[in-house]
Order: sequence, then C-alpha cells, then structure tokens
Amino acid sequence: MALQNLGEGRSRPSFSRYFGMSRSAMASPATFMALMAPGVAIVAAFFLIPLVLVAMEVANGPDGWATYLVILTNARYFESLVQTLLMSAGVTVVALILCGIVGMFLVRNRFSGRSVLIGLLTLPLSFPGTVVGFMVIMLAGRQGAVGSISNALIGEKIVFAYEIAGLFIGYLYFSIPRVILAVMASAEKLDPQLEEAARSLGAPRWRVVRDVILPGLMPGLISSGAICFATAMGAFGTAFTLATDIDVLPMVIYTEFTRNANIAVAAALSIALGLITWLCLSAVRFLVGEKADLATRGGA
Amino acid sequence: MNATAMAQPGSQTVQTEKTGGTRIELAGCTKTFPDGTRALLPFDLTINGGETLVLLGPSGCGKTTILRLIAGLEFPDAGGKITFGADDVTSQSIEKRRVGMVFQSYALFPNMTVAENVAYGLKVQKVERRERDERVRAMLEMMHIDMLADRRIDQLSGGQRQRVALARAIALRPRVLLLDEPLTALDAKLRVTLRTEINSLLRKLGITAIYVTHDQEEAMALGDRIVVMQKGAIAQIGTPREIYRAPRSPFVADFVGASNRLDGRIEQNSLVLGDIKIGLEQIGHAVEGGPNGHHDGNTGQGAADVYFRADGLAICTPDQGQMRGRVEAISYLGEKSRLTVSGIGESAITLDVDPDFQIAIGDDIHCRFNPERLTVFGRHSNARNAAQTM
Amino acid sequence: MRRGGPFYAQLGLTVLLCLFIVVPIVMSALAGVTVNVFKGLSSGLTLRWIFEVWDLYAQSILLSLWLAVACLVVTTLAGVPLAYVLVRRPNRLTRMFEEILTLPVAIPGLALALALLITYGGFGSFRSSWVFILIGHVLFTMPFMVRSVAAVMSAMDMKTLEEGAASLGAGFWHRFLHVIVPNATPGILAGALMVVTLSIGEFNLTWMLHTPLTKTLPVGLADSYASMRLEIGSAYTLIFFVLIMPLLIAMQMLANPGKKRRAASQPAEDE
Repeated sequence: MALQNLGEGRSRPSFSRYFGMSRSAMASPATFMALMAPGVAIVAAFFLIPLVLVAMEVANGPDGWATYLVILTNARYFESLVQTLLMSAGVTVVALILCGIVGMFLVRNRFSGRSVLIGLLTLPLSFPGTVVGFMVIMLAGRQGAVGSISNALIGEKIVFAYEIAGLFIGYLYFSIPRVILAVMASAEKLDPQLEEAARSLGAPRWRVVRDVILPGLMPGLISSGAICFATAMGAFGTAFTLATDIDVLPMVIYTEFTRNANIAVAAALSIALGLITWLCLSAVRFLVGEKADLATRGGA
Repeated sequence: MNATAMAQPGSQTVQTEKTGGTRIELAGCTKTFPDGTRALLPFDLTINGGETLVLLGPSGCGKTTILRLIAGLEFPDAGGKITFGADDVTSQSIEKRRVGMVFQSYALFPNMTVAENVAYGLKVQKVERRERDERVRAMLEMMHIDMLADRRIDQLSGGQRQRVALARAIALRPRVLLLDEPLTALDAKLRVTLRTEINSLLRKLGITAIYVTHDQEEAMALGDRIVVMQKGAIAQIGTPREIYRAPRSPFVADFVGASNRLDGRIEQNSLVLGDIKIGLEQIGHAVEGGPNGHHDGNTGQGAADVYFRADGLAICTPDQGQMRGRVEAISYLGEKSRLTVSGIGESAITLDVDPDFQIAIGDDIHCRFNPERLTVFGRHSNARNAAQTM
Repeated sequence: MRRGGPFYAQLGLTVLLCLFIVVPIVMSALAGVTVNVFKGLSSGLTLRWIFEVWDLYAQSILLSLWLAVACLVVTTLAGVPLAYVLVRRPNRLTRMFEEILTLPVAIPGLALALALLITYGGFGSFRSSWVFILIGHVLFTMPFMVRSVAAVMSAMDMKTLEEGAASLGAGFWHRFLHVIVPNATPGILAGALMVVTLSIGEFNLTWMLHTPLTKTLPVGLADSYASMRLEIGSAYTLIFFVLIMPLLIAMQMLANPGKKRRAASQPAEDE
C-alpha cells in the first residue's frame, strides 16, 4: 500500500503519470487538469511571462546584461542595498526578541484581558505600508504623541518620524503582528511537560529557557524572522509616506522607474531584490524544513 | 429471506447458496501497483448470492485490495474480470456499481446531518423527495438511530457513527455490502455488541456482504465463509469451523489462534514428539500434503510441525504425564487461568487451567496431549508454503 | 498560580508593545474627528472631515471594495480547485507549481508591478482599466486562498470522504460540489477574509499599477497624506479602519477555534 510519492516512479514523464488513475479511480487526469487550468493560466500569463520579459528588459539598458551588476558597481545602489539589508536585519532581530518574550508570555499565561491584548497586537497585520507610515507620523511626527509628551515634560518637542529612527519604528510596527503570530503558533506546539520535566530535574528558570524553550521555539523564530526580513526588504509604502532622506532599495527602484524612466536599472534592481527575499525564504525552508507560514505575511 | 437460510455461521452444513443476493465472481484477477508492488497474486473468488464472506488476514495481506477491487476503487490488472450476477462490472467505476460501503473511519460527511448523510445516495440517484424521506426514516428506525436524525456527525459517539454509516450504505439497496474493518475504531465491548447487530442485520437483509477484518473472532462470528489471506494470496477458503479445526497451513493455524508450536516427526503412522508417540488416527487434523492440497490422516515420513491452542495440553498427575514443564507466568483471566510454561518445546507454551487451580510461578507441572486438539503438518508438504491459487 | 516579578515584567512589556500599536491608531482616529488637530481635542469634535474625504475619495473607496469582491471571486474560483489538486496529487509537478504560485508573495510587490507594466503596459485600454489592478491583487492574494483551503483539506480525510460519496453513486463534480467544497468551507472562509483584507489594503503593487482614474483606497490615502491637511488624512485613515476592523476581528475569531463551539458539540459517549 506504499504509494505516496507518484513522482518517484520509473515510467516516462507524462501528465497521466502525475494526474493518472494509478492509486484509485477517483478523478480522471482530464478532470485534474481542468481543475488546475484557471490557476495555471493566470500564473503563466500574468506572472511567469512578465517575469521573463522583465529579466530580458534589463538587456535593453545602456549597459546591456551588465546592468545586473549595477547594484554592486554603482556606489549609490550598493549603499542603498547595504542600508536596506542592515535595516531589515536590525528590525528582524529586535522584533524577534520583543515578540519572543511577549508571544511566549501570552501562550503560557491565562489572565483576563489576554485575548484583547492578542487582538490589539495583531491588529496592524494587513495595514498597508502607507498607513503604517502615517502611524509613525502620529507617534513621532510634529503633532505626535512622543512630541506632545516630551513637550509637556521637558518643554521640547522630540520629532523623529522623518529620520532613520522613524523608518525603523515603522518597520517594527508592521513586523510585530507577524512575528507575534508565528511565535505564538510555535509556542503552542511546545509541550509544557518538557519544561516541567526540566524543572523536575532541577534546572533553574534561565536554564529552562536556554535548554528547552529556545530550542523548541527556534524553528518558529527562524521562519518568522525570514518572513519579517523579506517583508522589510520589500516594504515601500512606509518609506514612501515618511519621505525620509534614507534611500531604501524599493524607493530607489521607484525613483529610477518613475522619475528617471531608467527602466533597465529599475528592472535589474527589482530582480536583485526579489532574488534576495526569495533566497532568504528558501534558505529558511531548507533550514527548518517547513514552509514559513504565509498567514503571518500580511500586507505592507 | 427464509429462516432456514439463516444457518449458524459455525455449522459444517452451512447453506451457502441463498436467494436474493447478487452473486459476485472475480476471475483471473491480479493487482500490481504502479510502483511495481504486487498487491495480489492471480486468484479466482466467488461470493454466493446472499452470502457473508469474510476476508481475514494480517495488515498488508491484500484483503482490503480485494474489497476495493469489488468496490471499483481499484481495478484489476489486464485479464482480470469481475461480474455482479450476469453484469460485467470490470471497468465500471465505483459510482456506477451500486455497492454499499462502510469504511473503517466511517467517511461520514461532516457537513451534513445524520439524515442528510443517509439521504445522500438517494439524492444522487434522484429518488423523489417523498420516497427519499420515507426510506431515510425507515433506515434510521431500523438502525435505532431515528432520534439522532438531525444531529451533526461530530456530536455522535463511535457506535452511533457506525450505525449511520451502515444505514447510509444500505439505504440505496446495493447489490453488495462492503465492510472495511468497520469495528476496528470501537472499544472491545461495543465491538461485540455491534458485531451481533451487524450479523442479524445481514441475515435479515439477505444481502451479499463482504467483510474485511484482521480479527479472527469477528471473522468466525460473522462469516458464512472465511477467506484467509497471506501476502497477496488466498491461503484458505472455508467455513469458520473448517478454518478453525482444519487449517490448511501453519500460517492459517497460527493466524486463527493455534499459537503453540512444537517440532515433531511422523514415523509409521504416528506422530513422534521426543519419547511420546501418538497414533495419527487420534490426531485431530493432520496434513501430510501433496501438490494439490491436503488429505487428512495420511501418513508420511519426516519432520512435522505440531500446532495447538491452549486446550491442546492438559495438566495431569505425574504418573499420567507425558512431559514436564515449569510455570513461568500466570495470567488470571476470570473464567480460566492461562499459564506460560517452559521446558516443553523450544519456545514457551501456553495452556489453560481452572482459575482455582493452586499453582505458583516456578512450580513444576505435568501434562499430556489432547490428541484431537492437535494439528500436524508434515514438513515436506506444500502446505507449508501456504499460499496457493484457489 | 504563583505570579512573581517575572510575570509582571513580561506583562509590562506586553502592555507597552500594545500601546505602541494602539496609541497611533487611536490618535489618528481622534484626529479624524477633531475640528483642529493643532489646537487639540478642545477645539471640538466634528464629522466634517469624514464628509470631505467622502467627497474627495468616494470613487477610490468604492473601487477598492469592488476590487476586493472581484479579487475574492477570482481567487475562490481558481484557488479552491487548485488547492484540491495540490492536496490530492502531491507530486513534483504540483509542488513546483505551488512554489511558483507563492512567489508573488515572496518577492516585493514593486518588482511584480514592474514586470506587469513592462509586459502589458503597452495595451492602453487594458492598462488603464481596473482589471489591470485586479490582476496584481489576484497574483498577490491567490497563495493565501490556496494555502488556507489546502490546510483544511489536508486536515480532513478527503480521500475516504470522496470514496464514501462515490460508493453512493456520486460522480466527480457532485462529490466536489456537495462533499469537498462544503467541508472545506472553514478554509475558504478564512482565505476569503484574508484575500479581502489584503486586497483592500494593498499598496505596493497598486501604487505602480494605478492610473488617475483607477485610484484605490490606499492610493488615495498616500495621496491625502502627501497633499491634504492632517485632519483629512486622519479621517480617511479612520474610514479605512472602520472598513478593515470587522474583517480583522472576524479573522481572529476564526483563527481561535471557539471553545464554546467545541464544548457544544461534545461527541456522545458510547454506552
């Protein structure tokens, strides 16, 4: 009865091999193909073909195929890449630490108001980047909460929405819901008896955290970290709204495309950016062996 | 169905040809999975109309595959032929075959109520509304679940689900009822109750039924005939009594519960076990074995396997004893105690004693054979290799 | 339970994080109904800004709702059968397709929009119609629908259910429509909420794909943040919140399998 993986057979490749009636007579190959047809058509026409064309578009630039190297050779682009990478990595680390503690706490404790807290923390999951940018303005802009409080306390308005700190806060804002959800999902799978066992063997609290909780959470942390990183790399709306002086890569692409009509460079940079995020997510799947949970990806 | 047809499942003279049910024939069927696994070796099998046939065997023996061939969930390799009465259904898929099927996990539709589940097949067949309701009601009443009609499936107990699954399968008046280990998911006590219910239901309906199980007791209780399967082949077909008392191979003997085995020899019409000698004419069931199966009581020479259940040996006084053993373990089972005894064969032997019999672990006991409870297989017999085409 | 310092420290951090999320939301909501933000709440409350937003941006709000519905229809019709195939026929080919299907989520929306523009930007009437944006939204949201439905489908014993239906005489499409799809409803529902929420909020793709005549809600938001007074931006954000909150709350309720519901459907005991 062992016949799980039809793909490992020896027969010559054919559609009926993949969709055949080999195991049972439940649906014909034609039915399976009919079921897939609309989805395949959409993806082929509006994703695969454009992807190929955009990759070829790069060759139409002044430097031909060498345009692909522009992200490394051009100082402005390279600097922007490094800045974006550092920013995304930094946000990922901070979000993981904060959400690791809070997520674990929310899973392991029951108290009144808990579900309200969870609800509030995951609220911005599908806020577009622009709204997140606006939230940063509300928090740290000229009329922002931080400014008003600091004005009342020390008589000076602290405003940092339009600096790198503001962008960082914005990235953190849209990362928190995603990471919290992922951490809570893997914390729920963690068997509390493991902790009890460790404590019964005399382990102090910090050792329980180090030896049991962290290793258990690690796959969840890694995969949610990857999603967080990938989202941050591609985030555009927040930077767009804050209009800061730092050039994150998506902003550079946007400027090249719309203001400078430099389509080849914009295409090359897009592909580079897409490749980085895709590699990051694939690496995680390879490492953790499970798909990063899409549900926590959200908008932005 | 007339009452005489409801023969005792255990009786030798079971009347297998009943009226009313569809006769099913599988001819020259084999099943090879696409990865090359041979699930079923070539076989023929006939299920008489109205008969309850049990497919019995360990997991992976091919019993479920036969059921799925009959259901139309799998198709035999080229050359095989399946007929329902005069109707050749070989290439028909399951939805055309008019079979009723009860699955191990019940496969009840969670999106429908009990009544909707039972009505589903009738709806598919476009049975007119009024008649459909009537038949559903009758089915639910027959299965004693009419009070559950509007319940959701996840609100039912295992036993109730089992009844719904049965009602759903028979509501369409199928040509054959196929039951795939339907009681496995239930606890032991409920299994026995439902077994009895299914038994009387099958006899009341007079429907042809094929029942797959790995439980020997269930097979005995339900089957008009039992097919014992081993590694993709039929090891033996027979009434429960034949299977139990006259297993054709060591595999069948072992599978139907003769778990004690001793090495012996057959010499001049006698079974020789160490210094004990028992005339073959006293032996309950001896298979010398030829190329075409068995003939009881025949003689041969050479090594033999002796199989017997816990009743094949009896404790006796030292002077009557044929052999001596040492008690290794005692399980108190209520109506009897089961002893594990070493020193008689190579491996430990189990035997039953009166529960009030005073004995302790480490005691020596004397016992003697109960010759009519022994099954002897000559070792050069083909039957040792069991599986043969029927 | 003994609750010591660590409990309250963690609770404190949790509340702090919550405030970080909620304070700007509340502030922006209040700013949207305040007469003059620079003077504060003391200047009084008004619905004037909301009406002004409606006058200015009604088109883009309605377009977003329309797009979300259209996107939901397309992703459901194409995505549910896809999920079924992915679950029923897990092989190299379908897994590869699933990988490709998920790519539009992994790569930045900006890149995807660029590819669409380069390929189809030349088709004038197509380029300037709402369908152009719809395509971007479908690509981006489809994986969410497929994953969500596939998760539910693989959790139920679909093979046996289907065999059960077939044994009762049901052909493929009958089985698909009356047994498979109804039992996948929780997945479809969760996926649908996700699709609608994401479509309404989608900005990265849409900003590149939109034309002056096909502005969506988030595009209008960006526009208002850049060129309108703070109160209008806030009021517009408030409208967005009002639209999206019920969806988010429904999503959260769906994600926590209600304990009450489970208790109500306790399976009976066998006697």
